Amino acid sequence: MYKKLLKDDLENFIFILKKFGVVHAPVREAGRVYEFTELTDSKILQLNYTRTMIPPKKFFLKPKEQLYILNRREGFKEIVDDSKIVLLGVHACDINALNLLDRIYIDQFPDRYYKTRRENTIIIGVSCKPDEYCFCTSTNSSYALEGFDLFMHEIDDSYIIRIGSLKGFQIVCESENLLAEASSNDIKEFKRAEAERLKEFTLHLNVNGIQDILDASYDHPVWQENADICFGCGSCNLVCPTCRCYDTADFLNLDLKTGVRVRRWDSCMLKQHGLVAGGLNFRPTRVERLYNRFNCKMSLSEDSLNCVGCGRCTVYCPADINFVEVLKQVGED
Amino acid sequence: MTVKNPLTPMEAEIIRVEEMTSIEKLFYLKLTDPQIIGEFHYNPGQFLEVSVPGVGEAPISICDAQREPGQLQLCIRKVGRVTNAIHRLKEGDRLWIRGPYGNGFPMKLMENHNLLLIAGGLGIAPLRSVLQHALLYRTNYGLITVMYGVRCYSMMLFREEFIRLFREGDKLNVKFLLAYEDESDTKCYQLACERSDRCMRGLVTRLIEAATITPDNTYAVICGPPVMYKFVVRELTQRGFTPTQIYMTMERRMKCGVGKCGHCITGSSNSIKYVCKDGPVFTYWDALKTKGLM
Amino acid sequence: MKEPASENKPKIGVFSLTGCAGDQLMILNLEDTLIELLSKFEIKSFQEASSYSENIRLDIAFVEGSVSTEHDLEKLKEIRDKSSLLVAIGDCAVNGCVQAMRNSQTSIAERMLDVYGVEDNIYRALEPKGIGEYVRVDFEIPGCPVEKEEVFNTLISLLNGDPPLIPDYPVCVECKLNGYPCVIIEEGKPCLGPIITAGCDARCPSLGLDCVGCRGPIKGETNAKAELEALRKRGYPDKYIINRLRFFAGNFPDIRILGERKNSKGEK
Repeated sequence: MYKKLLKDDLENFIFILKKFGVVHAPVREAGRVYEFTELTDSKILQLNYTRTMIPPKKFFLKPKEQLYILNRREGFKEIVDDSKIVLLGVHACDINALNLLDRIYIDQFPDRYYKTRRENTIIIGVSCKPDEYCFCTSTNSSYALEGFDLFMHEIDDSYIIRIGSLKGFQIVCESENLLAEASSNDIKEFKRAEAERLKEFTLHLNVNGIQDILDASYDHPVWQENADICFGCGSCNLVCPTCRCYDTADFLNLDLKTGVRVRRWDSCMLKQHGLVAGGLNFRPTRVERLYNRFNCKMSLSEDSLNCVGCGRCTVYCPADINFVEVLKQVGED
Repeated sequence: MTVKNPLTPMEAEIIRVEEMTSIEKLFYLKLTDPQIIGEFHYNPGQFLEVSVPGVGEAPISICDAQREPGQLQLCIRKVGRVTNAIHRLKEGDRLWIRGPYGNGFPMKLMENHNLLLIAGGLGIAPLRSVLQHALLYRTNYGLITVMYGVRCYSMMLFREEFIRLFREGDKLNVKFLLAYEDESDTKCYQLACERSDRCMRGLVTRLIEAATITPDNTYAVICGPPVMYKFVVRELTQRGFTPTQIYMTMERRMKCGVGKCGHCITGSSNSIKYVCKDGPVFTYWDALKTKGLM
Repeated sequence: MKEPASENKPKIGVFSLTGCAGDQLMILNLEDTLIELLSKFEIKSFQEASSYSENIRLDIAFVEGSVSTEHDLEKLKEIRDKSSLLVAIGDCAVNGCVQAMRNSQTSIAERMLDVYGVEDNIYRALEPKGIGEYVRVDFEIPGCPVEKEEVFNTLISLLNGDPPLIPDYPVCVECKLNGYPCVIIEEGKPCLGPIITAGCDARCPSLGLDCVGCRGPIKGETNAKAELEALRKRGYPDKYIINRLRFFAGNFPDIRILGERKNSKGEK
């Protein structure tokens, strides 16, 4: 089931998407970076974006959110947000990143907030072109096989659409008038475009056995060198589509009886991340935290990296620490 | 939708508070919702996330073996924002808990073996749950040896209970040994005079050095301040304990308890562990494989 | 829970040392909640709001301003002696703030000469420092001035008997949480956000402005050298960067060494 949508019909297609939820898509306002925001006017849509600074995880695990209204006597009343959203234009790396987050946030002890939003959100992927920071082919995340409802592959004047879920199929049914069956020629064109895209990747990282290489390289000088220029500011974690650490805090109101429990993204590069009650810190130095971050990124579990090669941590590091470069140095000598 | 929210705490009533030391209190809790009571089971070594609404939440290990449905005990040291707030609470007040979390000790695996429990300071709290469990099912376990290191008599937790075991443990096939640090501690000195082979001045490792312990058919279980592990493990391995015969329970700032918040992740990428769900109980073998765990 | 009777209310005092009294002003700026909030305390002294009274044992003393004269120091020690908890409010009290900008670069004598035309230390001036240099401080609320919300939450925490929650992470975190573009990366601006204590919700970067560091560096976790390096790479001269770093953080050891004068005369 492959469909075809003419670019000229995109605006009409978005009109239909609005029936399924509030459409959010990559836009870039003056003086801003690319970001997923509500698409108020389809003219501001920028499907040919490189990357958003903040990944789409922000829709599921909010940067800051209230979890509970609390009351000293009555306890905790959860705040559930069940708004319906359509995310249009998500890149394959970010879809694969959400699949990794799902393993953490849904597979075991499902997180009510994350799961509800994941269920209430339609994801429409879009194909992309790599820039010099992309290395998703190295992390096996340059193509999305699951985790989306529809995926649009750009070819010439149209998009070839793959259907990834029942919800995606419903959208296709609703948009019957706009979509054609993809012809065998279209498929050929789709395959050609994908093959072309692969050739455009210039950044590669060999991840074979990287877990052991990292384990064996605890004393490598590259860690200290980079820790010396690192701010420990946490930007790398906060822009990472697979970083998922959070912290919680309670705030009381003036009555000292009611309040809220909030959570916000946390970062393992921040000093207090490894702190335990009583003041002991398991990762007191920046070099230990840096080493830990790279190790965490290269292993979610025995069978999976925790990195999708999106390049954000390098692009948005104010100290210009290059993620791939560091790993190459560790691996090469 | 009635999806269960693992982050939502349950109400528990404080049914008793005992002051144990100047900084530690023992809280007896009872869940208030009768519907939950039946489902609430915990194993030795598991922990809870304990909330004081408006103040915050902190991970606390359970310090007893489950006997009454819906009841449990927590030994809480006043060290931070949340534990300070808990210390202000009294009998009849409410605490909010969720859990139990973590793997707990492999009580089944350890059946028909001797147990060697080695604790320093507050580390005795989770090991007390192992001890209680083994005493509750006494015939399932062999000789129980407890080695407990304290700074001084006044810092000793569960004092009456343990002194009774110190004196009369043999009746239950329990050897309770005490090490104390403070030279001028007359009360501990008296205990040492009473049984010089069971109470000595020094660190908990002193007890291992002085005792004749063999790894035969024995599991060692350790809990204490992080600095303690290295020395205790060295003593044990010198005496022939294998890395899988040694269990230890670890502390991290587990914010969620359910493997999400990332605060307890440790290790290098060929062995990443979550203290909250892969632990908090690990074998020494896990610690050898997992960088930074110990 | 009943409203505490007057005699059970925490007795507080708010005091000023050398500074602009802007932090006290921020407390008064809590207009919506001020009356209700302050009604939970028994205010024994509030220099900015009413007259100054002494000789009363306080539960909490809030001190703003730096120690810049012998008189400040005497006053501070007296406040400390009379108070169970001492809270430093604002950068001046935390770390000396702008008054400390030239510490270790010029001597008191030079400054006297420049400003008053005499070398004699007629005002018994000291090198401006935060109050923690002289007495034990229980909590510190950074900011120049402090943030209203932080003051509010601190007062609430203290009322409830809890230590206040003060951020110990940099402004970058708040930029990312809000999705503000990084002004260093996108525009090459000399932003100090990576080493400065958060809590302002990245107010300046939210307007496209670079952080000037008014909440001070994060204690124990400031890589000042890296900041120097990052801004050098973007073409800023060392002197500019160091002056900028010193503006709010002249007493900060890592920043101080970046701008230490080689042959300081008359420094004690």
